[in-house]
Amino acid sequence: MSLSRIRLLMWKEFLQLKRDRLLLPLLLIMPLLYLVMFGYVVGVDINNIPTAIVDQDRTPASRALGEAFTTSGFFDVTEYPPDEQSIQPLMDGNRIQAALLIPPGFERSLERGDRVVVTMIVDGTDSKTASVASSYTQQIVLDANQTMLQEMGLSSNAIGIDSHIRVLYNPSLRNVNAMIPALGAFIFMMIIMAIMSQAVVRERERGTLEQMFVTPITRTEYLLGKITPYLILASIQVTFVLVLGMVWFDVPFYGNVLVIGTGLLLFAFSAIGLALAISMVSKTRQQAQQTLMFILLPTMVLSGFIFPIESMPDPVVPLTYLIPLRYIIIVLRDNWMKGAGFDILWPEMLALAGFSVVFFVLALARFHKRLTD
Amino acid sequence: MRASLRRILAIGSKEFIHIRRDPRILILVLVVPLVELLLFAYAISFNVTDVPTVVLDGDKTQTSREFITNFEASDFFKVTSHIDSLSDIDDAFVASEAGVAVVVKPGFSRALDRGEQGQVAVFIDGSSPNTAQFAQAYSTALTNKLGAEVTVEYMQRSGVDPTQAGGIDSYLRTWYNPERRSADFLVPGLIVVIIMIVTVQQTAVTLVREREQGTFEQLTVSPMRRGELMLGKITPWVAIGVIDMIAIAALGVWLFDVPMRGDVFTFLLAIFLFVLCCLAIGLIVSARASSLESANIAALLIAFLPAFMLSNFVFPLYSLPAVLQWISYLFPARYMVAIARSVMLKGAGMEVLWPQVLALGVYAAVSLTIATLMYARRA
Repeated sequence: MSLSRIRLLMWKEFLQLKRDRLLLPLLLIMPLLYLVMFGYVVGVDINNIPTAIVDQDRTPASRALGEAFTTSGFFDVTEYPPDEQSIQPLMDGNRIQAALLIPPGFERSLERGDRVVVTMIVDGTDSKTASVASSYTQQIVLDANQTMLQEMGLSSNAIGIDSHIRVLYNPSLRNVNAMIPALGAFIFMMIIMAIMSQAVVRERERGTLEQMFVTPITRTEYLLGKITPYLILASIQVTFVLVLGMVWFDVPFYGNVLVIGTGLLLFAFSAIGLALAISMVSKTRQQAQQTLMFILLPTMVLSGFIFPIESMPDPVVPLTYLIPLRYIIIVLRDNWMKGAGFDILWPEMLALAGFSVVFFVLALARFHKRLTD
Repeated sequence: MRASLRRILAIGSKEFIHIRRDPRILILVLVVPLVELLLFAYAISFNVTDVPTVVLDGDKTQTSREFITNFEASDFFKVTSHIDSLSDIDDAFVASEAGVAVVVKPGFSRALDRGEQGQVAVFIDGSSPNTAQFAQAYSTALTNKLGAEVTVEYMQRSGVDPTQAGGIDSYLRTWYNPERRSADFLVPGLIVVIIMIVTVQQTAVTLVREREQGTFEQLTVSPMRRGELMLGKITPWVAIGVIDMIAIAALGVWLFDVPMRGDVFTFLLAIFLFVLCCLAIGLIVSARASSLESANIAALLIAFLPAFMLSNFVFPLYSLPAVLQWISYLFPARYMVAIARSVMLKGAGMEVLWPQVLALGVYAAVSLTIATLMYARRA
């Protein structure tokens, strides 16, 4: 193995990268775009649900209940239609996603000590918002009842069950705290795969691959020279994204840099191996790109990155074990948020190492065949 | 005019030949969307059940066991083991063996008997915020309910009738999708996301490829006008895109029982306009891109991110910062998601959806013009 040959090849790759007017800027902008999108969009907590309140009672009590919804922050009350019939057009036209219906005689019933029913109508087309809206409603109504009991002197504090519910590791339950660590792995994968999957196909398309192989360079040297520049680029970007995300979104860090680094390195090898394998089986860059897309979407969906694995139906769950991103996300989140170390995360690390070996063997085997035929 | 039409058709059939020569692309373009639909619609769900739960019963009485039984009986919690000390909770959480820990403190039953408060604690692993949110809501509801039962029982024993106090009951109605099926929610949006990713990608490389292969010069010396070239370039993809989209929609209706309540004509018109918008975006990328790689990455960013994130597909737009909401108007996906969902689930037609359809029409016209102009400047 000759270091100078590897260095020369690396230099060539850097030159090629620099000469492409748009590629490098794109590669630099991409992580930032992802950071903004994932931090603000995927990491967002649902609130400000556009809501209408139909108050058919128009008394201090009904206004107080409406007020409780308005000030909760969960609902953004934008419409006050006069009756129930006017809700349908609003919901059909996507102007509101929830509507609260306070019946006439609301205050009178409460004063008499009767139970009174308020109706919450939610737009089921968005099943996620619908679930959240209904649990917020229950919470607000529960609070209102508690306040009324207390006003009557029946304090609920004296008897019953005193339950302390504590959320550990992420007490504010912010989505973005779990999103940023995983995002590091995702961006790492995107950059490596987007470039590496094209790298060898391009040489083959242009016929420079043959030229490469009449030189004394060996296969290992060739691959090392191809991989190293992009691995360096990707590592710098991931570090940048993780640090920026941490500072910008105020994400606490309880982890260990060594564990995270080891995990990411193992993951990088599996991503590079997969990308090379794609590159080997594709005849044109267009095919490589399509194959990449074909792999990326299941990876996004099944890795637990955006959609929690624990919510997936049982028959789907075994598929998630085939996705390398799944393991690195576990490593990053558990270490970052809970401080889990090698003693706990070794099975995931082992899985990543296993993927790397399999993908590289696949890629090298194809590589060999390609050269001989 | 007829000559112009002939030239457009000539380019169109040239593109068809390109596609036919590379059958793998065609297979990918036609099969991948269907596979993706299956994958997304089956895998994505927002319901959480059977969260692994550990229990620490520090009281070990009949009452405390009854309390814990309520957690065991719930679909949400799945009691996996009983532990002996608080430090076991940390271990179970760090190793991700449990997401919830229920602790009953010593003296629980004695306190209840005396009419005081029994102490319990619920710990939740916040590192999976989605599950944790549900866990928080469920355990609050469960302990509140049990607490209320205890209170009522105690009041009755001491001769107070708690039903004297009035209160509010909330009654929930879910419209359009009463069972809140995820498939109904996801499939209309998925159609849009998948098609956007497939189509933008295809036209994004088309002009770059001509440039890289040197056939670009030949095109510029032909009597072909820019607009004609653009229309010819996208003709085959319009056909493929529209067929793709209808196939996915049909599969969604047939396999996942997603209703098709609204006006099919509005839907088809919107699909046609939306595919045009996507292809035009691809052409704009193609006119600016310097190489196949950068065209691919730019297309990936422009197609994937807004379609997935800023379209109301899964992530509600109303919760986003205002700037991102404005940006979402710059991409066709949000209009099409609104149309698909309203037509399929709400039974809406042109009378409700004309603003979105109009937006798509204007968008298609403007973006095709921009693509042509940008291409002219480069040439």
